[in-house]
Amino acid sequence: MMDYIHINKLITKSIYKQIADSITEAIDKGELQYNDKLPTEKEICQLFSISQTVVKKAYEQLILDGKIRRIKGKGTYVTNRDVIKTDLHSFYNFEIMNQENESKITKETIILDRSNKDISSIRELKLKNDEKYYLIVNLFKSKHNPILLQRIYLPMKYYKKLDTLFDSNFDIFQLIEHTYHYDFTHMHSSFSPINASKADSLLLNIEADDALYLVRTKMIDSKDNVICYICNYYPGEFTEFEVTVHAI
Amino acid sequence: MQSNVLELINIDRRSTVNYSQQVKENMKALILDRTLYYKTDLPTQDELAAHLNVSVKVINEAYEQLVQERYIKIKNGTYRVSYIELTNYFFDRNTAIYDAVIALGLTPSIECLSKKVVTLDSETMERMGFSDSPDGKFFYINRLYYGDNQPIIILENYLPLHVFPGIEFNFKGHEPLNDYIFAHYGFKAALSKRVTKAVNLSQKIAGLLNERTNAASIQSTNKIYDAKGRMIDYGRSFSISSYYFQALITKAERDKYTKEN
Repeated sequence: MMDYIHINKLITKSIYKQIADSITEAIDKGELQYNDKLPTEKEICQLFSISQTVVKKAYEQLILDGKIRRIKGKGTYVTNRDVIKTDLHSFYNFEIMNQENESKITKETIILDRSNKDISSIRELKLKNDEKYYLIVNLFKSKHNPILLQRIYLPMKYYKKLDTLFDSNFDIFQLIEHTYHYDFTHMHSSFSPINASKADSLLLNIEADDALYLVRTKMIDSKDNVICYICNYYPGEFTEFEVTVHAI
Repeated sequence: MQSNVLELINIDRRSTVNYSQQVKENMKALILDRTLYYKTDLPTQDELAAHLNVSVKVINEAYEQLVQERYIKIKNGTYRVSYIELTNYFFDRNTAIYDAVIALGLTPSIECLSKKVVTLDSETMERMGFSDSPDGKFFYINRLYYGDNQPIIILENYLPLHVFPGIEFNFKGHEPLNDYIFAHYGFKAALSKRVTKAVNLSQKIAGLLNERTNAASIQSTNKIYDAKGRMIDYGRSFSISSYYFQALITKAERDKYTKEN
C-alpha cells in the first residue's frame, strides 16, 4: 500500500517535493503512524517510473525534517512522535512541561524496591555498602509514547516508612519538602549521551543502542546531605533541551 | 602501575551482584565522580585480578563492558579512562570551546576539515534563523577540536559574509574563532541560543571523533547573536563529551521559575 503518495508529472513542482509533501501530509493526517514502514526507494521509483535519485532526495528531506528515520538493515520508518522541548533551567518540572506541550503527560510507577545493589548510586548518595535506598522507577508517557524513564534513589535512613506512605502520584519535591521536611537547597545535574540498553529500549519503545540523554541529578539539603539522586533517561530522538547562554 | 588505583577497587563477596558487575560499577562510579580522571591508566587485568583475588576472566568482562559503555578505551595494550566532561561554564556561559578544552587541563588544537564560501537559499537561511542576509553568502568552516591530540568536538559554523567581509581570505582555519572575530571585527558574541539533543553518530562523524558508528553523542545547534541582537553565527556541533553544567539550581530559583510559569 502506498496510495498516500501522489505524483503529478505535468506540473512544475519538483517530483521529490511532491513525494516528500505527500508523505508529510499522510503523517499529519494520521494515515501513516509512528513506526509504520515506508516503501523502499526502489519500490517507489519502479511504481512511478522515476529515478532513484529523486526518491532518495525526498527521503533525505524527510529525514532532515524529522518525519522518518532509517534503521540499518531494516528499512525506513515513520518517526513522528512528539518532540518534547524543555528549557534546561526547568527540565525537572513536569507540570511546566505539561503546559508547554499542551499534551497530557501521564506517569506510571513500574518498580518500587529496596536495594543496595547499584554501586554508582550508593556512591552518589554517600551511603555505606550496607545502607539501603528506596528505588522508584517511573515511566512518563505523552499520547501513549514513553518520553522519560526515571529512576529515583532515596536513602532509606532519610525516608523512614516510605513504603507505607508511598503514593504513585507523589511529586518528588512535595515528598522531600512537605512529607519529610528536608530543607532542600540546591540540585546538581550533569548531562551525558549514552546508548540505550536492551531493557531500557523496551521500556522506552525505541531500538536498543539508540541515543539517550541521561540527566543525573543530585539534590542537596542544608546539612549538605544528598537526599535524593535521580537518573532520567530521555529518548534522544524525542527530546530537545533549549538553553540561552550569555557571554561573560 | 600506580598502586592507588588498585586500592580504590574492592568487591563485596556477600553481595548477590556478580564480581565482574561489581568491578565494572565500581570503576564507573570512580570515573563519574572523577576520582579516576580522563587518561588515567587502569591496572592490567592480571594486577587487578591478583589484587581482588578473582579470575582474570572477571576483570576482562568488566573492562569489556566499560569499553562498550565508552568509559574506557584500550591503547597500546593499556586500558585508559576516556570519559570526559566539559566544565559547567562551557554550558551556561558563552565560552569558546578552545577555552573549555584548556579548562579541562588539556592542550587544545584545531584541525580545519573544510572552509569555503557557500550560498544558501532563503528556506535554509530561515531554518537557521538568519533573516537579513542580502546575498545569502556565508563563510562555512568545519573544524575538529582536540585536547591533547584526542578529538573532543566537531563544529560547523556559518558566518554571514556581509557581517565578516574578507574573512574567506584571511581566516586560516586553525585559529580560535572568537578571538579572531574580536581582533579583526571589534565585536564579540553576546548571546547564544542552543538546542541540544542526544543522537547516534553517523559512520563519518564517528570516524572523525574516533568513536564507533552509532555511539551516542550530543548534537548542539547554536544561534549566536552580538550585543545589538544581530545574528552573527550559526553553529552545529557533535560531541561525545558530557556537559557538566547548571551546577546549582537553587530552591529560590526554582520557586521563582514555578511562580512565573
